[in-house]
Amino acid sequence: MTPLERAEAKFGWKLVTPTILILGLLILYPLMYNVYLSFFDVQLNGYKTFVGFENYIKLLTNTDYYSAIGTTSLYLLGTVVGTTLLGLAMALLLKDPFKGRGLVNAAIMLPYVAPVISVVFGWQFLFDPISGVVNYLFVDALGIWSERTNLIGNPDSALWVVVLFDIWKHAPIAYLLILSKLVSVSRDQYEAAAIDGYGPIGRFFHVTLPELYFVLATVVLLRLIWNLNRFEDVYLLAPNVQTLPIFTYYQAFTGVIDQGLAAATSVIQLAVLSVFIWFYIKKIMKW
Amino acid sequence: MAAITLKNIVKSYDKTQVVKGIDLAIEDGEFVVLVGPSGCGKSTTLRMIAGLEQPTSGDIIIGDRVVNDIEPQDRNIAMVFQNYALYPHKSVKENIVFALRRLKVDNEEIERRLSEISEMLQLEELLERKPADLSGGQRQRVAMGRAIIREADVFLFDEPLSNLDSKLRSHMRTEIGKIHNKFGRTSVYVTHDQVEAMTLADKVVVLHDGYIAQSGTPMEIYLNPTNIFVAQFIGSPSMNIIEGTLFNDYLDIDGYHLPRNQLSNVAYQAPITDSGLKVKVGIRPDFFNDKAFFSETEITFNFTGLTIDLIEPMGFDKEVLFNLAGSSVKARLDLRSDITLGAKIDLLVDLSRVLIFDHKTEQRL
Repeated sequence: MTPLERAEAKFGWKLVTPTILILGLLILYPLMYNVYLSFFDVQLNGYKTFVGFENYIKLLTNTDYYSAIGTTSLYLLGTVVGTTLLGLAMALLLKDPFKGRGLVNAAIMLPYVAPVISVVFGWQFLFDPISGVVNYLFVDALGIWSERTNLIGNPDSALWVVVLFDIWKHAPIAYLLILSKLVSVSRDQYEAAAIDGYGPIGRFFHVTLPELYFVLATVVLLRLIWNLNRFEDVYLLAPNVQTLPIFTYYQAFTGVIDQGLAAATSVIQLAVLSVFIWFYIKKIMKW
Repeated sequence: MAAITLKNIVKSYDKTQVVKGIDLAIEDGEFVVLVGPSGCGKSTTLRMIAGLEQPTSGDIIIGDRVVNDIEPQDRNIAMVFQNYALYPHKSVKENIVFALRRLKVDNEEIERRLSEISEMLQLEELLERKPADLSGGQRQRVAMGRAIIREADVFLFDEPLSNLDSKLRSHMRTEIGKIHNKFGRTSVYVTHDQVEAMTLADKVVVLHDGYIAQSGTPMEIYLNPTNIFVAQFIGSPSMNIIEGTLFNDYLDIDGYHLPRNQLSNVAYQAPITDSGLKVKVGIRPDFFNDKAFFSETEITFNFTGLTIDLIEPMGFDKEVLFNLAGSSVKARLDLRSDITLGAKIDLLVDLSRVLIFDHKTEQRL
């Protein structure tokens, strides 16, 4: 390093120090403390006894934990596939300029920017078994279902409502990311492919898709990372859908409170999350 | 193989007419160069032949079918784009054979053609690379390969050499000429470079402001331009246009009297009133020279006592500037001409190459 580079590096460290301190205090410390807690039996009065791996053993022998993993997997699969496909479809449809595109764009972005709590109440109202429009539509108007059902009340169907809600709320961000890449693909490439004899479908697979590879991978991984931790959307809309964050919350703060067990759950979740993040940084962020 | 016919092609964007009615017949196997300044409609015309743009009116016929409503992918054409438009995710090899994969050509045949093409274009070492790892000249060759391998009916070139440096450009120009001679496909080539037009074309089509200003063989266009636009666009340095007055017996330029009956390339025969007819006289710099470099038999006129304002040695020849009838006139003289700045010299001009144009319409007389 030349003296100038050394001075610049020093200055750089000075600039990021406050951020490192704040992050350390707010994130790193609780994180480490959480790992520490996972090896203890924690009483509400703060009294702790070291139990080694007992919390982990308890967790891994609990069938509810596996059912939460199953629910989370379905939730991740449904939401990631759904938002990516819907975002891609919208981006392809709205790529070329047309009159009123600004308005359509604004409308598409609305669910993403609306506060969770208000739209959750809206959705609960839509799915209400007595006065909700969904039951009216499928039972009274179209006659597809024979009787009114409480879709949110039943945990099995509530999972799919939660998935649908997430797709509706988060497809706009996928749309925005994909569109920003899509409009930068040079028109020449499409023209060259047309001259080379390829119709719209061939051009999609040979020009559009390779160009979108990195942005699609980003969308998929970011959605995985975000949704593995997603709490508020699920808990507010259908608290009976036990994805891992909800499961952990119930362990830590309701019924027979077991904060050590909850800590162990989060540690495992953190490990999985770290793998996703590592993959994202190593493989995808290169673009 | 196919002939191309354009029938009264018009192209407008909103209210702006870019191509204003073009009629053109391109014979099977002919190499036609569309040349003109920016915005003359040459690229738009090419893109309409390719099917990348739709004509607002008129018909485009390739072979024996009207292709107006046929998509580019169904026209059996190959095209080289100005910025090459290679597929960045595919290797050089896959870029070149991409069209053949669509046509379901069998692998053996693909390999055979690929090795022939890559040898011709010296691409053998590059086949596994991605376009981003290639230099500009290499990308250009890949784009050429991609077009040639198709064995399409028609080759289209959209300013293919304009992104190359001058040395590479003249090399690739020669290569394109060779390739055309080898395959003999109908080719349409767009450029703003009149050297490319002169050297490559069987037929040059000079476009100006959406119309065809003139079309013909390169030598026709060079020696017998039909208007001042074409006269000045083709040829470098461009043709001198000098004010003159035509009388019954002679053409007056700044007091010099060029005998009218010796202007063998002037068709205008009508009698002229005593006050004379104001005209614009066109003389290419190439047709001036020192007396020593004309043979006795050539019919020349001697501009005596010219004062040289500037000398530009070009190596093989030297360009000199002098003043005639208020215009700065350029002459391209033999390297051996002995001239000095500010000196008075005599320059001869080949009278059979002197052209005159109508003062107002700028059309040939």
